[in-house]
Amino acid sequence: MNLLLLLPALLMIGLVFVWPMIRYGWLSFHANSVLTGLNPVPNGGANWIRLLDDQRFWQDALQTTRFAGVSVGLELLLALAIALLLDQRWRGRGVVRALALLPWALPTTMMALGWRWIFNTPYGPLERLNEFVGLGPLNLLSTPMWTWLVTVVADVWKTTPFIALLLLAGLQTIPKDLYSAFRLEGGRPIQALRCITLPLLMPYVLIALLFRGAQAFGVFDLIQVLTGGGPAGSTESVALYAYLNAMRFLDFGYSATAMLAGFLLLTSAMLILAMLLRLSGLMKPVQP
Amino acid sequence: MKRRLALWICLLLVWSLLPMLWQLISSFSTAESLVNGSIPFLQRWTLVHYKELLASDPPFWRYLLNSAIVSALTTVITLALAIPAAYGLARVPLQLRRVLRWITVAAALFPYVLLFLALLELARRFSLGNSLIALAMPYSGLAMPLALLLLTSVFESLPRELEDAARLEGLGLWQRLRWVLVPLLAPATASTAILVFLFAWNEYPIALTWLSRDELLTLPVAMARIAGSSIYSIPYGAYAAATVLGSIPLLLLVLICQRQIVSGLTNGAIKG
Amino acid sequence: MLHLNGLGKRFGEQWILRDLNMQVDEGECVALLGTSGCGKSTALRLIAGLDRQDEGSIELDGEPLDSIPAERRRIAMVFQSYALFPHLSVRENLNLGLKIRGVSPAQRQQRIETVLDTVRLREMADRRPQQLSGGQRQRVALARALLRDPRVYLLDEPMSNLDAQLRDDLRPELRQLILQGTQPVLYVTHDQQEAMALANRIAVLKDGRIEQIGTPEELYKTPASQFVASFIGRPQINLLPVDKQLTIGIRPEDVGFDPEGMPCRLISREWQGASQLLLLDSPRGALRMLCAGDLSLSEPLHVSWLTSAEHRFDAGSGHRLAE
Ligand SMILES: Nc1ncnc2c1ncn2[C@@H]1O[C@H](COP(=O)(O)OP(=O)(O)OP(=O)(O)O)[C@@H](O)[C@H]1O
Ligand SMILES: [Mg+2]
Repeated sequence: MNLLLLLPALLMIGLVFVWPMIRYGWLSFHANSVLTGLNPVPNGGANWIRLLDDQRFWQDALQTTRFAGVSVGLELLLALAIALLLDQRWRGRGVVRALALLPWALPTTMMALGWRWIFNTPYGPLERLNEFVGLGPLNLLSTPMWTWLVTVVADVWKTTPFIALLLLAGLQTIPKDLYSAFRLEGGRPIQALRCITLPLLMPYVLIALLFRGAQAFGVFDLIQVLTGGGPAGSTESVALYAYLNAMRFLDFGYSATAMLAGFLLLTSAMLILAMLLRLSGLMKPVQP
Repeated sequence: MKRRLALWICLLLVWSLLPMLWQLISSFSTAESLVNGSIPFLQRWTLVHYKELLASDPPFWRYLLNSAIVSALTTVITLALAIPAAYGLARVPLQLRRVLRWITVAAALFPYVLLFLALLELARRFSLGNSLIALAMPYSGLAMPLALLLLTSVFESLPRELEDAARLEGLGLWQRLRWVLVPLLAPATASTAILVFLFAWNEYPIALTWLSRDELLTLPVAMARIAGSSIYSIPYGAYAAATVLGSIPLLLLVLICQRQIVSGLTNGAIKG
Repeated sequence: MLHLNGLGKRFGEQWILRDLNMQVDEGECVALLGTSGCGKSTALRLIAGLDRQDEGSIELDGEPLDSIPAERRRIAMVFQSYALFPHLSVRENLNLGLKIRGVSPAQRQQRIETVLDTVRLREMADRRPQQLSGGQRQRVALARALLRDPRVYLLDEPMSNLDAQLRDDLRPELRQLILQGTQPVLYVTHDQQEAMALANRIAVLKDGRIEQIGTPEELYKTPASQFVASFIGRPQINLLPVDKQLTIGIRPEDVGFDPEGMPCRLISREWQGASQLLLLDSPRGALRMLCAGDLSLSEPLHVSWLTSAEHRFDAGSGHRLAE
């Protein structure tokens, strides 16, 4: 009976999450592009061999990993500061919390459009500021390094509130008595942060790390709208590359291969990360 | 001490709100004043961007409506399936529950962009493209893991005796759900509903590939399509106006429901 | 008449309840008495149909209950935690079941008002359970059980969450409301005093099995084992080992002063008003003794008891030895 209730939801999850992976596995061993008239034709492991040799894919994988690492790292630091701030008691905390949450709630594509205006050369406010202080135009959206930074900033701006809330939830589970006891022991506030807050917060940090890491690796909306992967492919992500293969080059077999490969890379990265964390003893065996 | 706190709070607000404020200012500025800083202050302002947006074909509010339809439908479907499922999940034997829990967590972590191709195939196969109602199907599937996680944890935290008491009162399964469990879960259901709604409202890659007809686009796709034109000739005033109009529903939603959103995220964090 | 035949329940490999045989007559109240975790609640849940037994059967008035789901057994249970619906007011709590069972609105209204008067909660009718005191919640739970118009009442430690004073106050109410009906009542408790005060018969449970079942008097006078002897009667019975085979039980109230008796040293005394409890150091070991509260004591004390008041137990198994 209970299983019966579960069935529709599980079917739905299976159809949406599991079926695609199976389908990609199958497609990745087929040529399915304009050349084959968009019909799948078995081609052995040709897609996979091509992938191994595909400079662009590996470049994108590297770039996506770097993007995920840097932005999630920054987000965690900033979020921790914000969470500590919001954990204090002050009037108007609720309103500020809601306002701070706004960036997270807005559609990524919409703000991506906004960022294009803000980082516009030469009319955006940032370039005007650069001009004003004498740096001259930095061509924020046409220099690879700056553009990459812009994507990081945009991602950090959007997802920091979310992580801050997770961490805030964690902070609020720490009994305040612990701090009182620590003070009676002669500890100073800054030591309390290191000896009490951080260790007790660690599980939440790790949850945020895993969750956001996976999401950031799948970055798509932001890159597609903000930079389109450019300039010169320098900000292209794995997901965007797979998307282009399917929708622009109409090579579905290879697109499926790229996505499956991305998924496998991500899974192994997560597993290694989880294993390292467990080995280092930071993570208690996860209680599901 | 107080002053330093205030300073940090201001910084936080500036960081969060300034980009949006800039959009707001831009949306009321004439095209000329956006590129020319020397125009006198009083002559910079205009409503023309908004007028254009609302007069375009299809009018901008159409996208908002489309998004609202898909999101509402998604929320309803997801909850309708997730509530009974979460009930079931909280009551299956521990071992099985653990396995199912892991599957849901993994699915919730999954960067769903990677699914778009297979889903697009399904859409083509069953002619589901360009239909807002059909789009709610994959959306419900994608939002299901999150909804399940949030709701299961609440079901598990309900004392078993409450349901037992209802059984002894003669309530059948559906009556128990209807009269006892769902009302008890109302707060959790509300916060789950809001998070699912936000997901559907903001979803981009699936909508991008499933919808192509202008009058059916959801807000994120419409935005991206506006951005799709050349970088150099972009009418930024109109864009800014679009972001402002597009933000208003969410602004209201977040301000009104912030408590539910926060508690939903918090629950997810503690249990997930 | 409720009949339990060899009821058993296990979780995994472990039997929580085994071989439960019992009969509760019309209008009779049987108390299930036992330590925490011995399977009392489990037994009630089996009877209510909330869990399924792994062996044995349950009969009510000669009709087997086993295939009837809990919803349709017409059995009322008052839970340890009361299990009042927190989202409903007192009145709505009482109303919900009636509505589901298809009672007409007019009749519902009338029955709820009556029962609210009975449990004296009329002024509280529109409050939520959280806004009630423990005793009031318990009365709401009782009212809900009364409205169920059940064929059997099951009460699972209905007073364990209340303070001692309130318990004493509520006991007469409970007796009047439920125990005077014609339905069989099973009353779970770990408080022997409560069991003795309320029940016609008491079943003492140990590790999921019935150790002894009988009237309070039988249990007090002829406990079947050391376990029952020390469970029934306060202050606790003295268990004095005689040799490898024999242990003697003697109740503190059966010990008396006797110039010819054993010499004892007074270790401590608890003054209880009308009586006082002495803890003595005797040649046969520590000894509890009950005597009048106004007695002034002078050492050395000499005590003894009648051999007829002794309970004799097998030292190994703890079972009562034949007279
Ligand atoms: N679902 C379950 N799974 C495994 N063991 C259980 C389960 N439910 C109860 N038990 C075990 O069964 C035993 C009896 O539990 P039960 O609740 O019947 O005890 P009880 O006599 O009512 O105790 P208390 O006086 O504390 O209420 C306990 O040891 C408990 O650990
Ligand atoms: Mg119990």
